[in-house]
Amino acid sequence: MGKESTKTFLGLTIARQAAVLVFLTTVIGLGVNQVRSNRLPLIEDWSHEARLKTPSGQSMVISLDEAKALFLSGEAMFVDARPSAEFEQGHIAGAVCLPWQEFEVFFDSVFPDLLPDATIVAYCDGETCDLSEHLAEELYNMGYENVRVLVNGWSVWRDAGLPTEG
Amino acid sequence: MIFTGGVMMVESAQHKKEKYIKQKTPGKRTTVARLVLGAVFIFAGIDKIRHPGAFSEVIYNYQVLPDQLINGTAILLPWLELILGGCLVAGLWLPGAIVLTNMLLLTFFGALLFNVARGLNINCGCFSTSTEPVGGTTMAWYVLRDSFFLLLGGRLFFALRRMHSDDERQKVFQGP
Repeated sequence: MGKESTKTFLGLTIARQAAVLVFLTTVIGLGVNQVRSNRLPLIEDWSHEARLKTPSGQSMVISLDEAKALFLSGEAMFVDARPSAEFEQGHIAGAVCLPWQEFEVFFDSVFPDLLPDATIVAYCDGETCDLSEHLAEELYNMGYENVRVLVNGWSVWRDAGLPTEG
Repeated sequence: MIFTGGVMMVESAQHKKEKYIKQKTPGKRTTVARLVLGAVFIFAGIDKIRHPGAFSEVIYNYQVLPDQLINGTAILLPWLELILGGCLVAGLWLPGAIVLTNMLLLTFFGALLFNVARGLNINCGCFSTSTEPVGGTTMAWYVLRDSFFLLLGGRLFFALRRMHSDDERQKVFQGP
């Protein structure tokens, strides 16, 4: 009859109600998801390779080796999607600054460098950075069909000892 | 003397009874906290329910869940928010709803702090599923706002405990 019994009773009430609420959520959530038109698959591949695909199903992700080869042959234009302050602190040699957050501001000055047929390699920094992904998608939609993304570009490039400047 | 003593005893019992009632009834501020938090949860749930794909992007950007759990969370979490918000506003199943609400708030706060700590500027996805990048001040604002929600949640939790705690005052009503 003391404190313990009432506390246990409250604990049981909480557990029972919480379990029913979670169960209700699961039934409603999954049920609605099944019948709606914009339903999500329960499990989706969120890897960079799977996420970054052109409408034709080709992955936009480029490996460091491929990027290096394109760099050495001078076939690729590197586009830095990070904020301009980070670009100024250091970037891939010859890259142009096109921060995704200020895309409209910078695009005009970068435009002459972006040849429609050249390969464009967008990069930012960090395994999870999505600035270059957004930038690549935007450029692709603008008609630059050979745009690629070097995931975690700045870090892997610098760590591989490849040419940088700034 | 005896008579006065009797009155005093009655008053004392009356006092105990009032204190007991006060303990067992939520104050105005607690009720306001419950309604505000409930409305916030309903509001937060609705936009996410409408745009599940955009919300899954938001969860992905948080980078705290394994890929396999992203979509399941995007499907279920908004409904949990809506249902909990409904319970809070309607005053239904408060023990379960309050505890779950606090667990969610703590999880959100933890995920947000985790990303502030590692310097990742993410759109919190709290009320809208837009994934526009945000600056450092916005992150600070998210932390402030989430702290406020946690205060509300904490208040409800302690009111719940107070109202369900058993102590001497309860014996006033227990009779012989």
